[in-house]
Amino acid sequence: MLPGASDSGWLALSFLVPLGVVFGLMPGYLGFLRRRGRVVDDVHKVPATKVPSPTGPVLLAGLVVGEVVAFLYSQSLIAPAIIGTILIAFVVGMIDDLFVLGGKAKPLLLLLPAVPLVLAQFIQPGVYHAAIYFPFLGETSEHFFIYTILVVAAIPVVSNAYNMMDSFNGEVSGFVLLTSIAVIFGILLRSGSILSYSPSHLAVALPLTGVALAFYYYNRYPSRAFDGDSGSLVFGTMFAALAVTGGVEIAAVVAIIPAILNSFYILSSLRGFVERRKIGARPTYMADDGKLYASQEKLAPITLVRMILLEGPLTERQLVKRILILTGVACLLSAATSILTWVI
Amino acid sequence: MLGITVIAWALILIEAYLLFDVIIPFAPPIHSLGSLTALALLKVVLTLGLGILWFVIIVSLTETYVMSRLRRHPPTSSA
Repeated sequence: MLPGASDSGWLALSFLVPLGVVFGLMPGYLGFLRRRGRVVDDVHKVPATKVPSPTGPVLLAGLVVGEVVAFLYSQSLIAPAIIGTILIAFVVGMIDDLFVLGGKAKPLLLLLPAVPLVLAQFIQPGVYHAAIYFPFLGETSEHFFIYTILVVAAIPVVSNAYNMMDSFNGEVSGFVLLTSIAVIFGILLRSGSILSYSPSHLAVALPLTGVALAFYYYNRYPSRAFDGDSGSLVFGTMFAALAVTGGVEIAAVVAIIPAILNSFYILSSLRGFVERRKIGARPTYMADDGKLYASQEKLAPITLVRMILLEGPLTERQLVKRILILTGVACLLSAATSILTWVI
Repeated sequence: MLGITVIAWALILIEAYLLFDVIIPFAPPIHSLGSLTALALLKVVLTLGLGILWFVIIVSLTETYVMSRLRRHPPTSSA
């Protein structure tokens, strides 16, 4: 069921309130981080500048407030389940920000955020539908156990993929903004094709776009705020949760193909999970001219950024533009996937 | 990179078709328990094979791309 005029006010609030929360809290919080000395080097600047980090708590606050608005509108357990899910991811991210988790500990701890989603499904069946819709093929048969295992496994994969896309000014915020729009498009089309599917699924998804848009303002080149692992893991976890509760898994996977390829390249060239701060040979380096270059060493890890830079050196701003164009193409393919699934 | 992204997408759709329209419905006229078990195992193996095939194709494309670029710009001591 597509949203009607009566729904539009709540849907607008689900987007605008989180946006306002981030804009309202961020300036004061950045000042707080600076006074406490919680700043990190922006290593892609000459000379390196100091940027407040992590701003994950403000991003979490925006998302939680947005989900509360969505809950007031929908009265569905989806919003509280998503709040529980992102809270757990936030705690894991904060531990990583403050103490640095090992390469294997982080993915294992990120199995936990799925627990609120699964519990909510037991309490109120319908939080997610244990089947997957494919373009042309329609719906697979329902398999609660297999689907739930996939949900539990998907959250660490997606949240780590987002975490690995968090290296340059405006990269992760732009990536979240574009991919959240792709998922919302899929949910909108699904809402139009299934009568029992209420606009509440849209309401729980809109806070991610609102927060990402507000954060992009602070995170774009030259960054005034970094999200830290507490931010990127929350973004990735929320994206995965929305794909599951919105029933748009395939479109979501397609939208984040650049991040999946990036993670896969890193894992395959490093032969396993390695904390990114402990990677020996660097895939890229910055020269005195302030441009980023791809490492020419054969043993350096293959990353998305290195592959882009193999075309030629780029400034940070040009590089992020290329990454976001690639993400935009993936999001268009995601939109095509949604149309093939729900319209044709 | 755009080409690899589009190929990754197309492979997802093609492999989903092979999985749900070819492998899963495949039901030859067999009735013995052993043959049915073997068929189920064969379907699991073929499904895993599709996943591995996706990775192999993407890795091959990526390595071909990286090596061709490195050949064009041979390794230097500054890197």
